[in-house]
Amino acid sequence: MTRESHAQAHLIAPQAMGANRAGALRRGGVALLALCAFVAMCVDLKLAPDALLAGMDKFGRLAASAFPPSDGGDLPRILKALAETFAMAFAGTVLAAVAALPLGVLGAKTVVAQPVLHFAFRRILDWFRGVPALVWALILVSAFGLGPFGGVIALALADVPSLAKLFSEAIENSDEKPLDGARAAGASPLMVLRYGLAPQVTPVMASQVLFFLESNFRNAAVLGIVGAGGIGFELEERIRIFAFDQVFFIIGLYMICVAALDTLSQQLRRRLA
Amino acid sequence: MNAIAEFEALRRRTLRRQRLESLAGLLIFSVVLLISFQRSQFFSSDIGGDPLGRIGDFLNRMIPDLKGDVLLHDRRTTGSLAWWFYDLPVWLKLGWQTVEMAIVATVLGAVGGLLASFLCARNLMPSATVRFVVRRTLEAIRTLPDLVLALLLVAAFGVGPLAGVITLAVSTMGGLGKLFSEINEEVDPRQLEAMEASGTGLIRKIRYGVIPQVLPNYASYALIRLEGNLAGAAALGIVGAGGIGIELQRAITYTEFDTYLAILLLIVGMIFLIDMASEAIRHRLMGLGEDR
Repeated sequence: MTRESHAQAHLIAPQAMGANRAGALRRGGVALLALCAFVAMCVDLKLAPDALLAGMDKFGRLAASAFPPSDGGDLPRILKALAETFAMAFAGTVLAAVAALPLGVLGAKTVVAQPVLHFAFRRILDWFRGVPALVWALILVSAFGLGPFGGVIALALADVPSLAKLFSEAIENSDEKPLDGARAAGASPLMVLRYGLAPQVTPVMASQVLFFLESNFRNAAVLGIVGAGGIGFELEERIRIFAFDQVFFIIGLYMICVAALDTLSQQLRRRLA
Repeated sequence: MNAIAEFEALRRRTLRRQRLESLAGLLIFSVVLLISFQRSQFFSSDIGGDPLGRIGDFLNRMIPDLKGDVLLHDRRTTGSLAWWFYDLPVWLKLGWQTVEMAIVATVLGAVGGLLASFLCARNLMPSATVRFVVRRTLEAIRTLPDLVLALLLVAAFGVGPLAGVITLAVSTMGGLGKLFSEINEEVDPRQLEAMEASGTGLIRKIRYGVIPQVLPNYASYALIRLEGNLAGAAALGIVGAGGIGIELQRAITYTEFDTYLAILLLIVGMIFLIDMASEAIRHRLMGLGEDR
């Protein structure tokens, strides 16, 4: 290799040609610092190995007591709670979609062109996007009393910000040309929306709603833990009395139902796409 | 003429079939919705008679009685900001604990997911049985809701952040394991073939053939997961698995709805800050990936 081509190689791939001491040192320092921070956090959280081992031991015993799974002689009650859970998920998702539709239209840049308003609106949605359904459920149950009503509202509240954001993006991404075409043919504003915009955005929105429905089927089980109805309540009750054979039965049944509903929803989504 | 008539007939048939299909779809949807509302006692329960009125009433109770003239007074003055956020130091401490839980769990879960992803990537793991078992395990983890797992782990590990960290780490492993294995399978095979030709072992193949290609993608997925885990960690305290959720539970026990709103705002702010930091890092990572 001539000196010239060597220099050229240095220019093209400095990392491959010769060790970069300073870079390596800096990277090592950062890694060491990150490791120290991680260990400090573990210590602060009191994650001790002996507590872990003791817990594992106990968990093993609890898991062993889960065999064989049993319905505890009250299968109808479990099935009723399961149905309630999935009903909550469905009702909550539909409510969220209905509420997110006007918000999504308002959040679209193409509808509300005023930049400050648009920015403020999107930011508010962003803030509340992160709040988990359980956090809503806890306070709603306290306000509305025990029962699935609070659970439905909690699921809806947790989904509205994300759905509204996705809806407004779907509207923003829609093609202007069909709308122009409808207008040119002399359609009224309502008909422009019906024949120009709706055919473009409905499949996208429907598939997003189905996606949220799947995730709600999966998450609705936790709402009962705070008393918002459904299977979570039965689960918590049985965990509290250490009836793990029944817990295992319920979780297994729940997972099978979720898998079945997932398949159904995925097929619907594929048909939409 | 005949062709036109045929076309018209076809069009009518297609239209009629489409209408029938939509009608059937609408009918099924309505029935399911009706059953759902009935099952979830939306309009029929003793408290659900006037749903919208109740929601309004409840929002009203969440807003604190702040008074403009004493807004900046100390916490003993009713109506000041400090009175509303009366336990701020404790909340901040628990908030930080929540952040720590999310970070530690994401790191542990990402490491676990990394190991699992190599075990179920088609181009790295030759044994189909191992791939199948690992894949199904990850799938089962993803189906189980976090908080149900947390309930089980609190029963075994006791109340405290340990149960929460394990919960989040396990569910992170389930989620990231799948995403990571998808990244692994998209790895450019030429490097791997070159190393195979020179007789390299599996570990070195991963270290020199896979890691350099996939690290930026891994990191950005892990950071997205961190954002989700922080929200998850905030809820975990409600079942006793550590973090700020315990204060939410306490506020509810004493029916302090305005306090609940204060803590909620704190959580929302916390999630927002982490989101911004993580987004900044992710954009930098992507930029680095383009430079090279």
